[in-house]
Amino acid sequence: MALVRKDLRLELRTRETIVAMVLFAIVMLAILQFGFGTRDDDLTRFVGGLMWVTLAFTAVLGVGRSYVAEREQRVLDGLLVSPVPRTVMLGAKAIAIFLYMTAVEIVVIPLVGVFFVKGPYWDAIGWIAIAAVLANICIALSGTLFSGLALFTRARDLILPVLFLPALVPVVIAGAGATHAVAGGPHDMSEWRGYCLFLLAYAILFALVSVATYDAVFDD
Amino acid sequence: MTPSSTTDGPARIPGQRAAVIWGVLATILVVVSTIGVFLIAPEDADQGIIQRIFYFHVAIAIASLIAFAVACVAGILYLRSRDERWDDVGEASIRIGLLFSVLVVITGSIWAKASWGTWWVWSDPRLVTYLIVVLIYAAYFVLRSSAEDDRKMRYSAIYAIAGFASVPLSFYSVRVAESFVHPVVFTSSGANMPGTMLWWFIVSQAAMIALFIALLEVDLLGRRSERALRRLAMRLESA
Repeated sequence: MALVRKDLRLELRTRETIVAMVLFAIVMLAILQFGFGTRDDDLTRFVGGLMWVTLAFTAVLGVGRSYVAEREQRVLDGLLVSPVPRTVMLGAKAIAIFLYMTAVEIVVIPLVGVFFVKGPYWDAIGWIAIAAVLANICIALSGTLFSGLALFTRARDLILPVLFLPALVPVVIAGAGATHAVAGGPHDMSEWRGYCLFLLAYAILFALVSVATYDAVFDD
Repeated sequence: MTPSSTTDGPARIPGQRAAVIWGVLATILVVVSTIGVFLIAPEDADQGIIQRIFYFHVAIAIASLIAFAVACVAGILYLRSRDERWDDVGEASIRIGLLFSVLVVITGSIWAKASWGTWWVWSDPRLVTYLIVVLIYAAYFVLRSSAEDDRKMRYSAIYAIAGFASVPLSFYSVRVAESFVHPVVFTSSGANMPGTMLWWFIVSQAAMIALFIALLEVDLLGRRSERALRRLAMRLESA
């Protein structure tokens, strides 16, 4: 918990990552609207895609920033020589990314409803939130592993999206599918459940892979 | 015989014989399966000649998954032993698996054009899945090229494991709520095709697996030869 507090305290002092992520997400939503080439007020059918494309790219931005403080202020060197188990480092970083994503979603999920949906979106917001929490766990776990891999590579800012986004495709498919199932028109709860179970399976599998391999990421 | 021994005949790199044996076996099997698929196997009543692409399309897809599984196991073994030979096996397997996956996408696209009149069908889960698989494993080489020495091997091993975990996830994510347009040949109750077709499919599958092993052996032989040459050059320089 001390490591999570360290990440959050660093963030709360400057608020640079969360503010940048939220702004980025809002700009993305606007670009997507213009990118459709229509000024149609009702994009209910595309609500899942609009939301999760925005969140996926915002996640790349946030995950890319997650080790910056450690690297620039040489905190990582201290952590690596300390007796803190690597799995604790993994858990702390994943919790920090999870909280960043949750903060962004608190703004993005209602905003998507205001901007694009003319259907009964607000009744479904709880179901969307549950899917978002599960997706955040997936993003946090895979993001921690891939950002650790990209950390000491050349052109790491370029490497991270190339590694992370393909692994995120299933999360986007499931997140967008779950959102579409409850807010995009069909209101199909069994479909929503299927996507949520998939997200849970993704989270479990990536938790296992991350715990099994994270030791080797910083084995210098 | 070690690569440097030159006293009794020409030096031989370890694995040379295996590469030759697998190369010959793969060539025979590919020729036999091509003849069988195009000249002997019965024509599908519904799809006609285009169905014959199935023998290669599915066989390459399965062989590519085997290649990625081999790379994942090699990754685990590398992390346990830090023996760079496992890194060689991992990289070579992913190189071949990626090549096979691209072929799966191309043959699938040809099949889509012939069957459904369009080169790309987003509602076909298998085609979309393979596109994701290609993207995942293409990133492996980007990661490899941007890290050095021990880190390169370590990161590659970790990514090979994480990449292989992503494959079933990609498969299921595009299937959770898809309407299937892809012909389903293998179901839980068995193969949905007549005996002769199944026989030629098995031959094609064996050919593709043998081709994978032959390419892997040749790739590994190339690496060993390169190392042996480097050692020889160093020895000559120091002499």
